[in-house]
Amino acid sequence: MTETLATTPTARPRAPLNLRNVLIRYGFVTLLLGLIIFFSAMTRGFASPQSAVFVLQSVSITGILALGVTATLVVGGFDLSIGSVATTAMMASSYVMVVMGGDAVTATLACLAIGVVVGLINGVLIVYMRVPDLLATLGMMFLLVGLQRIPTEGRSIATGMSMPDGSVANGTFSPEFLALGRHRFDFFLPSLLPVSVVVLIALAVVIWFFLEHTRFGRMMYAVGSNERAAQLAGAPVNAYKIGAYVISGVFASIGGILLAARLGRGDIASGNNLLLDAVAAALIGFAVLGASKPNAFGTAIGALFVGVLLQGLTMMNAPYYTQDFVKGAVLVVALVFTFALSKRGKR
Amino acid sequence: MTISHRIRNRLGLGLVAVSLLSGTALAQDMPAPFNNPGDVEIALVRYLSTGDFFQAYLSGVETQAAALGVNLRVLDSRQDAALQADMVDQAIALGVDGIIIQHGLTESMKEAAQRAVDAGIKVVAFDVNVENQAVPQIEQSDRDLARLALEQAIKDNGESFRAGYVYVAGIAPLDRRDETWREFKEKYPGIEEVAQFGTMDNPIANSVANQARSVVTANPDITVMFAPYDEFAKGVKIAVDEAGLTSSVKIYSADISTSDIAAMREPGSAWVATAATNPAVVGEVSVRALAMMLAGEDPGASVIVPPTLITQADLLDKNITNMEELGSNLPQFAHADVATPDWMPLPEGRE
Repeated sequence: MTETLATTPTARPRAPLNLRNVLIRYGFVTLLLGLIIFFSAMTRGFASPQSAVFVLQSVSITGILALGVTATLVVGGFDLSIGSVATTAMMASSYVMVVMGGDAVTATLACLAIGVVVGLINGVLIVYMRVPDLLATLGMMFLLVGLQRIPTEGRSIATGMSMPDGSVANGTFSPEFLALGRHRFDFFLPSLLPVSVVVLIALAVVIWFFLEHTRFGRMMYAVGSNERAAQLAGAPVNAYKIGAYVISGVFASIGGILLAARLGRGDIASGNNLLLDAVAAALIGFAVLGASKPNAFGTAIGALFVGVLLQGLTMMNAPYYTQDFVKGAVLVVALVFTFALSKRGKR
Repeated sequence: MTISHRIRNRLGLGLVAVSLLSGTALAQDMPAPFNNPGDVEIALVRYLSTGDFFQAYLSGVETQAAALGVNLRVLDSRQDAALQADMVDQAIALGVDGIIIQHGLTESMKEAAQRAVDAGIKVVAFDVNVENQAVPQIEQSDRDLARLALEQAIKDNGESFRAGYVYVAGIAPLDRRDETWREFKEKYPGIEEVAQFGTMDNPIANSVANQARSVVTANPDITVMFAPYDEFAKGVKIAVDEAGLTSSVKIYSADISTSDIAAMREPGSAWVATAATNPAVVGEVSVRALAMMLAGEDPGASVIVPPTLITQADLLDKNITNMEELGSNLPQFAHADVATPDWMPLPEGRE
């Protein structure tokens, strides 16, 4: 599957403007606008700045994870461990503050370190040990789900919890750390923009610029589209691939930090839903503007699309299973856009 | 031979004297087979084990088993229904005296429980109906949990209010709590349910927070949120705080943990009350009911552990910050006077 995901060439001649190409290029964006208009008309309170912000907030964590996984998709890989990296980072930050009594900076650095280390291990397993990417990161996923529970014997971490040895953990989440999940910047309206949304937008811009406008980014696309050719052209393919997994790991750990700051406790969780939603956003991103390849802008729009859909449906009292259904349907349609329509248009 | 008899009698006398002096229940006071508790082995066969609730349940089972002096063997199937059934067979093969089945699916556990009963093993079941007359059910009464929380909601808000309700169908305890919610809506027509939502997507609190955020934005006139599961309540609280509606919405829930206590104690917290059974107490009761059966007594077909209502005011007035303090300040939470015949030794600190 990894072959097919990223083999489309980076630069291809602009297709003539017939109906199909217009549909492929702007179909998804139009659909998104249509949805926003539909929900604004059908529900109270959807068309407001606050609502726009919480739609963004609801997808900020999965969006950040999705941007990370986009980097691995670009080099023709895949990272199944992002969900569990995020929850492991959440547990680690809680552990540092609540059990070890550390401060916000230590907790954040510990999480980022986990992201880097996991990314490096994933990369080394895939590049040097020749373990297929899906299998290596699947193994890492299970490993982390177990690892995050070992220090507390499966308990969630909160101030006042009893430790396995009978003592009580008295550390607290530091206010600076909680601010990462709860502080809001003034933006037109007072206290409107949560930190997580700002982080999402900042990371989206950074990774977009990195992938599209730097030599490193373009080389990563080259590695993804034809590894052998990139190697013959003298690119350090292995370093780029490992780098992509490190980016993915770090982004996932940032997601985990924001999650911990929002919940204010270390919740044992597999993070599988985070993984699935993030992958969905990245795959939907293939279809945005007819890119037919992993790209940061598309991933951000994909995440936004899922967020608008889910929040709108919730406002209309749609139960959770219909939301999963709709999410799946959107993903299938997006994949059809990517693989069937655009390929025919190209040839 | 005679000497050994004499020695044994002396030892027995000495032990009786000690037991009279200390006043604690020693093995000699207990009926067979607990007069020799080291030879008794019981098995706990679990379906669910991750999470605070199940950790606390296990600790309750462990402390009561230690108080009795029996050997405990824990078999954990980690949500694998087929494996859980195999583990019952494993316990039968090991020749244990009693089995506690903790959660599971009726379909997979019914026959396994019957095989254990046929093998002459005493069985009790917690929160899983194995459809067997010989197997008493240990229950935390979900209907009572919901009733206590809703009665408090009516006490605080009157008989008519606009409510949001968090529910996911198909999960047995939530379904039982849902029955009570429907009864209350019938009994008090003034309660208007304007929104129903809920999801079990992991991490649950985060997913529910996203949903609740949409719900309170679409329905800013909601004054009561009934979230009968603490992960739901946590999510609703995050959303209500983020939407700046902390002072206009009150959250009523079920279950409790140390982090829940912290959330309820926050200044002006919207989470005002929860009804809970102490999972550790449920674990203790499970072992006691099994012990009664081993001693030839009948704990009854269903052993119900009553829940306790815990309000924000209780937590603040009594300065309760974690589960231990909750137990020591609300005695009805720390111990349930259920399945306690006179001979039954209780874990330390229980009255």
